[in-house]
Amino acid sequence: MSRFTDYVKKEFPLLALLLIPVCIAINIVGFQLSQLLRLPIFLDSIGTILAGAIGGPWIGAVTGLLTNCINGIFNPVYFPYALTSIGLGITAGLLSRKGYFGKIWKVAVAAIIISLVSTIISGFITAMVFGGATGNPASVITATLLAAGNNIFTSVFSVQIFQELGDKVLSVLIVFFIIKAMPSRYLSKTKYGPLYISESKNKRARATV
Amino acid sequence: MASRIRALYPGTKLIIALAIGISAFIVPTYWFGFAAFGLAVIVAFVCGEGKAYLKLVRNSLLILLIFMFVMRLLFSGGKTIYWQWGYMIISAESIAVSLAFVSGVLALGSFLLLFFMLTPVKDITAALSNAGLPPSGTYVVLSAIQMIPEMRKQSATIMDAQKTRGVETEGKLFTRIKAFVPTLGPLILSSIASTEERVITLESRGFTAPVPKTRLYVVTKRRVDTTIEIIVIVAFVAVIAGRIALSLL
Amino acid sequence: MSFTYATAKDSSVRDIDLTIEQGELCALVGANGSGKTTVCNIIRGFIPRFHTGEMSGQVLINGEDIKETNLGLLALQIGFVFQNPFVQISGSKDTVFEEVAFGLENLGVDVDIIRSRVEETLELIGIQHLRDSNPFDLSGGQKQRVAFASILAMDPPIFVIDEPTSQLDPQGTEDIFEIIKLLKNNGKTILLVEHKMELIAEYADHVVVLDDGALVMSGTTSEVFGSPELATHRVAYPQYAEAALGVRESGVPLARIAVTREEALADLTEAMHS
Repeated sequence: MSRFTDYVKKEFPLLALLLIPVCIAINIVGFQLSQLLRLPIFLDSIGTILAGAIGGPWIGAVTGLLTNCINGIFNPVYFPYALTSIGLGITAGLLSRKGYFGKIWKVAVAAIIISLVSTIISGFITAMVFGGATGNPASVITATLLAAGNNIFTSVFSVQIFQELGDKVLSVLIVFFIIKAMPSRYLSKTKYGPLYISESKNKRARATV
Repeated sequence: MASRIRALYPGTKLIIALAIGISAFIVPTYWFGFAAFGLAVIVAFVCGEGKAYLKLVRNSLLILLIFMFVMRLLFSGGKTIYWQWGYMIISAESIAVSLAFVSGVLALGSFLLLFFMLTPVKDITAALSNAGLPPSGTYVVLSAIQMIPEMRKQSATIMDAQKTRGVETEGKLFTRIKAFVPTLGPLILSSIASTEERVITLESRGFTAPVPKTRLYVVTKRRVDTTIEIIVIVAFVAVIAGRIALSLL
Repeated sequence: MSFTYATAKDSSVRDIDLTIEQGELCALVGANGSGKTTVCNIIRGFIPRFHTGEMSGQVLINGEDIKETNLGLLALQIGFVFQNPFVQISGSKDTVFEEVAFGLENLGVDVDIIRSRVEETLELIGIQHLRDSNPFDLSGGQKQRVAFASILAMDPPIFVIDEPTSQLDPQGTEDIFEIIKLLKNNGKTILLVEHKMELIAEYADHVVVLDDGALVMSGTTSEVFGSPELATHRVAYPQYAEAALGVRESGVPLARIAVTREEALADLTEAMHS
């Protein structure tokens, strides 16, 4: 039991812990902003991906889970989709360990992988829990595909993949640029941040004076 | 009455909500689910939140339920066919299935919404603490809840500033996408940067002191709560038993 | 109590040897970038534990090295208040009362004691009227007072205060210095980093000047502010001292350099009567 608590302590140091509420808020405010600008994509997982990229899979997973729980307070439909968010956080963390948020071509690959993970998990949930229906107009396309004789999974996934690609590619790109803009002093204190400190920046952390 | 309902222990309220919501899927008649929804609406009004509650239900569940109903209605197949066109079939069976499903989701969804409407997050985290959630967990949830409106205000300020700089928020899709990044970007960077100083603040308040923490705000379970929980659980088990019995007959 | 440290953190601060006596208000001044915040962080233990880097030397409180002490428990001995009022609210409490109680909760203090301590502290700092407000809705100055209250509630004997008024308006600044005066009257040992020289001259017992990471001057307020050397270290004078030094430079012999308003008035009155 003590080894477990030690492991937990190692994975959740205070700075990483504080990343979680900030990234939850980024998820939610990002979504609200995209709604305000009437964008067709949700942009509601930027925080989860960022948390996973810097803090690792555990931090990413918790960020995702709690985001959905908090959103679920106002719309219970979000609860089952917590699985997707958790999946996103973990995937972002695992990809980050191999430095996938560092170079633009790696970022492109990461974006595709994340989109796929999101499509598969969300697709399953939409198909199995909600019978293919979601609260937004994309369901009409799903319905049309069903009417044409496709099975539930094909119909749902076909619609989902396009939504996810648009959404996740942009989200991952934003995360890439954010990490680039972060000061190395901060990055050095995080789990995977040090991977992204470029050679020209001073690697040894310097305190403020 | 309203205050008695609100004063129930959070765990108790949750058990009631889940028991009723899940029962709607188990009970063989779809009227149960719709009746449950009616009950939830009544409770909401009794507690003085009727209008807000209905609005919440409408915004979150309505469209989903309509789509779910239509899709189950048209694509569930069935033998007693009333209408057919291509792959779309409306049958007695599909009508029954779609109504049952919608009533179930409506019951569970509406009761969960009711639960969260009547239980402040502070109480939920206090109850979770009782159940063993470590103080870091409580902290993370509560600070997330407070941070969201703060960040939203900041994003509104930044967007106004960007507008005066000529960033367009109306117009073509690409233009609007371009407005997103300069608004959210600086917000994200400054929020993440502030976490460094927040760590200092937390340490200065003894957050990492290796002592068992005390809590000023607590919720306690009373006998009334335990009694209600037992009744509800027994009733729920009876529902399950009844269903099993019915399917064996 | 006293604490001493000698550090050589390369390129931030070098060879600092500083002793502060119990109950003393020691002011730390210097140009921007001279190492003042580094010193504060070292004393409170944030360097090297949070801000990584290389540090040599030690911090002793009452003769004891704080190297191994848990940072959270150290809150019982050293209070820490810094510049930005907006990040000094914990973010997890929705009333000022609970915010001030937060530190005591973390230290495992009995709930009844928490309540009475918080009441006392709110009274002392004069923020009883804010007790039910949400900390997020307060002004910068009010937030800073809540920050002081939150630390004072834990009643540490030492306070490290790093530029508490930089982001506040004049009224806010005055309120904070009232609090610092209060802390001093209650026997707290204080290390204060500030730029407002008149206020330092008023309250400090001991002034230390940092320049480019090194400790260059140390002494009483009269000694430091009365010395022409101060200008070479890019530190401002309290206006009274500046005036007096100017007068002395122009050939008028002065018995002493007044550093506070009272001293200046006294000297002026004397000069006018002679």
